[in-house]
Amino acid sequence: MESAGHQPVLIIVLLLISAFIAPLLYRRWRFLSGAVVLAALTGSFITALLLLSKSGASSSLSYHLGNWPPPWGIELIIDPLRVYMLLVVTGVSLWIFIYALGDLKHELHNDVIGWYYSLYAVLVASMSAITLTNDLFNLFVLMEICAITACAIITIKDQRECLEAGFKYLIMSAMGTGCFLLGVAMIYMVTGYLNYSFIQSELSLALTDYPLNIFTAAALFIVAFGTKAALFPLHVWLPDAHAAAPSPSSAMLSGLVIKIYAFALFMIFYRVFPRSLLDTIPLNEIILWLGAMGVMFGSIYAMLQTDLKKMLAYSSISQIAFIFMGIGLDQPLALTGGLYHIMVHAFTKSTLFMSAGAIIYSTGVRRISDLGGIGKVLPLPLFAFTIGSASMIGLPGTGGLISKWYLALGTLETGRILFLLVILASSLLNAIYYMPIVINAFMSGEEFKEKVKIVPLSMQVTLAAGMILVVISGIFSRQVIIFFEQALTSLY
Amino acid sequence: MEIISRLTENYFYLVAVILFVIGMHTMLTHSNMIKKVIAMNIMDSSVFLLFVAIGYRHGAQAPIIREGVDIVYANPLPGALIVTGIVVAVSVTAYALSIIVKIQRSYETVDCDEICELRSED
Amino acid sequence: MMDDQIVRITSRLVAPFIQLYGIYIILHGHLSPGGGFSGGAIFGASLVLIALSFNLEAGIKQISHQTASVLESGGALGFALTGLVAIAFGGNYLANRSAGFPLGEAGQFFSSGAILVITVFVGIKVASTITTLFYNIIEKEEPLGNHKQTD
Repeated sequence: MESAGHQPVLIIVLLLISAFIAPLLYRRWRFLSGAVVLAALTGSFITALLLLSKSGASSSLSYHLGNWPPPWGIELIIDPLRVYMLLVVTGVSLWIFIYALGDLKHELHNDVIGWYYSLYAVLVASMSAITLTNDLFNLFVLMEICAITACAIITIKDQRECLEAGFKYLIMSAMGTGCFLLGVAMIYMVTGYLNYSFIQSELSLALTDYPLNIFTAAALFIVAFGTKAALFPLHVWLPDAHAAAPSPSSAMLSGLVIKIYAFALFMIFYRVFPRSLLDTIPLNEIILWLGAMGVMFGSIYAMLQTDLKKMLAYSSISQIAFIFMGIGLDQPLALTGGLYHIMVHAFTKSTLFMSAGAIIYSTGVRRISDLGGIGKVLPLPLFAFTIGSASMIGLPGTGGLISKWYLALGTLETGRILFLLVILASSLLNAIYYMPIVINAFMSGEEFKEKVKIVPLSMQVTLAAGMILVVISGIFSRQVIIFFEQALTSLY
Repeated sequence: MEIISRLTENYFYLVAVILFVIGMHTMLTHSNMIKKVIAMNIMDSSVFLLFVAIGYRHGAQAPIIREGVDIVYANPLPGALIVTGIVVAVSVTAYALSIIVKIQRSYETVDCDEICELRSED
Repeated sequence: MMDDQIVRITSRLVAPFIQLYGIYIILHGHLSPGGGFSGGAIFGASLVLIALSFNLEAGIKQISHQTASVLESGGALGFALTGLVAIAFGGNYLANRSAGFPLGEAGQFFSSGAILVITVFVGIKVASTITTLFYNIIEKEEPLGNHKQTD
């Protein structure tokens, strides 16, 4: 492995420094504080693009923090899959931040906006670090940072629902990280390493001597990441948390934060666990069944909701389960679908939450049944909502089709027709609860009665960008799929 | 019999697991929020205990190098990691307690069940 | 806030020594057990002690809420920038010896290069964070605007 330059760590440090400066600047120059974070986000996105051109589709680079070589020091790794995730994290967070600049003024108390910027930057830094790190204990610390900041961008809105939802989220994720640390202890006990690569080579030997420790660790990891990523039976915290949060936070939490844990689980499965462990115990099978149940139940719960944001939150449970199904099928095509869905869902659900946020911003309406005729007064947000819904259902021309297509190909390849039916049924269910909103908004005869405020320019621009991103991810998917095909060959 | 002798040899693991289960049970079943936070701390401490116990070696001394003395050292790494873990646990606790203060101010109770009742009345 | 002479006099007597001890722990972090977090926590505890045994104003006279939160950001910023200095010297992020920080002789006060600097920054950060946390919880804030928010 060759050296990677300083770019991997600069992404994280840049964001952290901007996070520390933002609240200081906010006391004097309010405008500058947002600009600093915006600049840091842009800088990290550009750095991630540079890393992409550097690493290409097959090579991997490593960076040793403090010049301590692994297994002693913390190692950051740049490989194609991580660069992909890094691009999604930095790109989507930059996009959501531009939206937040317009939306936050009416959602939050004026004094705390500087702190919001700071928390946002720390959250993005921790997520980028989770994708890059190659060290289990480092992952634990970053997960806690991510959990605290994710809770904080919910509870910063001083309403009692937010406080309650944030507390529930905090307790659940504390349980998750507790389980994760216990699992790390189990692995450290039998291998003596914390570095992914060293553990992987050591675990295949340890598997014959200490199988029980390793099985326990695997079970604990599934519970830990399942809780954090809202895998089906552990999802109870998600709907309240994502629905109560300010709209940019909802977009961030649903679009990126839950996915980062799905990605971390993917990394644990394929970079920490040796192939022999996945063959010995049916870990993938467990994930697959939980994912399939999550797809169905998430959609069914979403149909029952009356609150717009709550419906979107339940829909997230069903969509995150698609990514887990991709991991569960354990097959290159399905993994391609699952990984592509990370990006597609980040675009789609963020667009949906942003348009919901724009609707709430300008009219204050949250109930689905009150949205009749709103398409005539707010054409752009509702048009974005329509495109997002189309991608959720998986209509042609949107990214949702591509990821579901590859997942379906994966189920056919492995001969699991039942799961193909699950995917199809979920598309149908999505159509049942998304389409009425769209139809009601544009075609209902009734006039929309509430007062309407004009949506700020930054929100309009990001909504338009969201529509374009969803469509681009549907039409120009070929390059990314080829990129995955090359990257995934290293796993099999 | 073998399992009993194994358990007595590794009693600190057993204690850690018992504490973990106590913490998790309390956290998920009790409705008082302060109790939940205390339980969270018990759970974290149990994991820290288990992690530190991995570094234990019988008859070993603290890992401080002295010239010319050749003795067995305990593994310093788990201790170093757990200091970080404790810091993280402290910050989560502080944050959870500050949320509870705010919840108490707006609902005037710290009991989850009572809050649920209040919310259903809304 | 307690209204008790014994508590007040004792804490006024003890507080400087606690602070001195906190500074000692911070500065000796690279030589003996302790360091930025433990020392900072001790130092912060002394400020909390003063605020608890007298009242909030007495605590704020020691270090105001504003200063504390500026120091909080500053400590973290200092840590991050020390890491960047290592990059400027040609090492990796947070590198110590390989970036050319003078290590000195083990056991001496001025030894271990960047570790001492980082420990001081962590100490500042932790002490001010503990104080701001305490101030934030204890300060009276205006009642929540949406007390009767209906859902």
